[in-house]
Amino acid sequence: MAVGERRVAAEPRLGIRRESRSSWSRRGFLLVVLPLLAAVLTGVAVLAVSGNVLLPFQTVVTLEGKMASKRDFFEDEEVQRILMRHHIRVHITASGSREVAIRDISSYDFVFPSGQPAGDLITAERAKSNQYAKVHRPFVSPIVLATYREYARTLEDAGVAKAHRGTGPVADQPPYYVLDMAGFLRHIHDKRRWDDIGIERHGIANANRIVAQTPDVCGSNSAGTYLALVAFTWHGDGDEVPDTDQEADARGREIKHLLEQGLPAADVFRTYVSPEGKNIAPVVVAYEHQYLAYQLNYKARSKKLDEQRVLLYPSGQFVTQPQFIALNKDGDRLGELITHDPELRKRAMELGFRILDPTGQVAGDQLTRFLEERGVPAPATEGDDTRTAMPRLRYLERMISVVGDCPPADVLPGRP
Amino acid sequence: MRPRRRAISLIALCMAGLWLAAATACTPGGPEPVTLRVLASSELADMAPLLDDLRRDTGITLEMEHRGTVDASNELAAHEGRPRHDVAWLSSDRYYLLKVKANGGHGEKPLATNIMRSPVVLGVKRATADRLRQAAAGGRISWADAADAAADGSLRFGMADPRHTNSGLAALVGVATAAAGTGTALRPQDVSCERLHGFFAGHLLTGDASGKLADGYAARQDELNGLITYESELLALNSSGKLREPLEIVYPRDGMVLSDYPLLLLDPSKRAAYDRLVDWLRSGPVQKKIMERTLRRPIDPGVSRIDRLREPVGNALYFPDDQKVVDRLLADYGDPERDRAAQVIFVLDFSSSMRGERIAALRETIDGLAGGDDSPSGKFVRFYRGETLTVMRFGGRVLEERNITYEGQRDLDRLREVVASDDFAGSTAIWSSLDHAYRSVARDPRDRPERRISIVLMTDGENNAGMDVDAFVRGHARLPEEARRVRTYTIRYGEADTGELDRGARATGGRMVDAADRSLLSAFKEIRGCVH
Repeated sequence: MAVGERRVAAEPRLGIRRESRSSWSRRGFLLVVLPLLAAVLTGVAVLAVSGNVLLPFQTVVTLEGKMASKRDFFEDEEVQRILMRHHIRVHITASGSREVAIRDISSYDFVFPSGQPAGDLITAERAKSNQYAKVHRPFVSPIVLATYREYARTLEDAGVAKAHRGTGPVADQPPYYVLDMAGFLRHIHDKRRWDDIGIERHGIANANRIVAQTPDVCGSNSAGTYLALVAFTWHGDGDEVPDTDQEADARGREIKHLLEQGLPAADVFRTYVSPEGKNIAPVVVAYEHQYLAYQLNYKARSKKLDEQRVLLYPSGQFVTQPQFIALNKDGDRLGELITHDPELRKRAMELGFRILDPTGQVAGDQLTRFLEERGVPAPATEGDDTRTAMPRLRYLERMISVVGDCPPADVLPGRP
Repeated sequence: MRPRRRAISLIALCMAGLWLAAATACTPGGPEPVTLRVLASSELADMAPLLDDLRRDTGITLEMEHRGTVDASNELAAHEGRPRHDVAWLSSDRYYLLKVKANGGHGEKPLATNIMRSPVVLGVKRATADRLRQAAAGGRISWADAADAAADGSLRFGMADPRHTNSGLAALVGVATAAAGTGTALRPQDVSCERLHGFFAGHLLTGDASGKLADGYAARQDELNGLITYESELLALNSSGKLREPLEIVYPRDGMVLSDYPLLLLDPSKRAAYDRLVDWLRSGPVQKKIMERTLRRPIDPGVSRIDRLREPVGNALYFPDDQKVVDRLLADYGDPERDRAAQVIFVLDFSSSMRGERIAALRETIDGLAGGDDSPSGKFVRFYRGETLTVMRFGGRVLEERNITYEGQRDLDRLREVVASDDFAGSTAIWSSLDHAYRSVARDPRDRPERRISIVLMTDGENNAGMDVDAFVRGHARLPEEARRVRTYTIRYGEADTGELDRGARATGGRMVDAADRSLLSAFKEIRGCVH
């Protein structure tokens, strides 16, 4: 028994309705339903492609993370899309890596300091108070100096930089140079200015002292790592690193003048890639992945390389190892994903990181092959084989405090 | 039964639609309306037209409270407990960061995101720019060239009050850094000697906000010919129709201080709204709109610049990381109303040993200080308009005493005439002559107690007439307080006695500079910077 028929009998007003319902023909029905159906199907198709089909039935977890330059990874749209398929959304708070390490992180699900020293600070602190901390090491990236062609050439003229061998079709515009760190620091020590070493021959006037800009050494891992590199190079005695507090303090005082740059700016790499970069951030300390991601992006947009911006690889390399530290189970799920999920690993490589294989070794030529496919010259990895030793955390911390005049981080005497 | 099936189909479809909506929606419903209380730099009043768009697009209303950047920074650094504002939007947070550091603040710094950029540079009328270029090394104008022109009265400029505004402070730090010429950030020892009096002789217009400064310039544009402020402010003024003659923008060769307009999150509980605000402000279309409306440079490297913003900004000068440096600069040059009249008394040895090369060197030195020295430091420390220059030539006694206030070229010529004299004496009465200088200072009517007076004594021989150094020191101690405050800097030349000259200078609070192993000019320049 149709509901409608009974209504017809009950209320004359419904006659009108019946009339309207009579126009509710099969054709009319289809006219309404088909577009709706099409919309639903399209939607389903879209969701299927993006992997979000089951999304409405599963809750998306928003994870809070705090990190420095590794936010480039989580801010990438493709990474966000892949994570969404795993029902994870990530919300980032930007901060220097050392800053991450010395502040309260209890409200976060994970932190992602750019290097081991900051990571060690955190795991030590967590262990001390018996709190959850699980470390994942998905990829590494060397510390480099990003600069402009004229500056690299000027350093080349001064005998402290050399273009990388075998950079192929771009041999006259090499994107990579090896920087003789000891020679570079000698110029800084001698208070040379860019004008003094002949930058005018390359069409630039700059009376500023030679220096590589870093973010605040009190807060940033790249600055701290660069400091360790400077200390190691300047000391110049094989692989010696400080072993006592007094030695560390003395080293800090020895190199303070090599890192003088006035009030440091944040986010120096982003300033470097801006149109004003050549004026306001001509030489900055950065990670290789930042530069590679920039060039890949530039190439994709304009079909050519940015030949103005080049990298200096310091002799005596420091590979920095970002540490993903899960602070709870949810964070750990994310850590597992970025370390093991093939799609995320591939994407990390596309963002210029050197991904690690499960044994913790750099997964060799994958990045090289990928860069070559995209027409971006691959940085030669052979370079200078000087291994630069990182001082133990406690002593690095002391040097940072001396150089940056910053509040010391709490490192137990017994800790490495 | 067909209608029933249809109904079921419809219900199913609607359910599917709902599910789809749930699956695809990123933010369910419209943006939640939020109001943020913002402590903002005064110059950000020009963002007002964009705030309606902001409210429409994001639901965020900004309640802007404007203040000079330095005032706002002082307020933020001094405030403890729950912040009175949710967000601060400053032209630069450098002064704030220095303050926090100086206060021993070790807490977490507020989250900060830069939104746009503008350099603090120099705008000058065309004719002035041409003249500056002619005098500049390689035709590229530097702050030193501007200081030189300000000292001789040909550059008359406006600059905002550095005690309150970021543009004024950035200009002061920029000029002081250029004057120190170290190529690095200023340290306390770099600002112990002042070199900026000549530059500030041309500072004729001030204001406690950069906007007011621009209006002030427009009102006095016939009398003035330069303005130091943000590039954006200069471009806006040029296109405002208020100027009869546009200002050419000069990006000084020795560099500039950049402002980057960070947005600081003061109340962490407003994080969600802050993120929305930052995302909106840094989105491509908004960055473009900001550039077009305010003429500041976008922070987004991807936004292509309008033609007027394609000029290279010039090298960034390093900003000092020590609050003491900034405090010292503000104490010396901060107050635009300070009494700028200054007097230097040159007590110059004209004994016969000065004949020949030595007197020639002294004459060259005076020529150099009168504007003949083309080096950047020379351009900063030269004599400047309004300065009173007293020359006392001495031998066994004071041979000649002349008071010249520098108002124009004629005065400098008279000064040269005095030292061109060939009237030399046989003996050398150093301490009696210096004592004479102090007595004339003490006699002088002190109608302007703030006036800065200093004495520069140059000698090439030993004291062989009049009082000895001990007698001078004893006499000095008995002088009236005001005269005693006047310092003497001694310049040792030729065979003069190092110990005595040093002792005499130190008794007055000054010091000795040895010109034995370098040029007389460089010795005069060194103390010129330190003269107080």
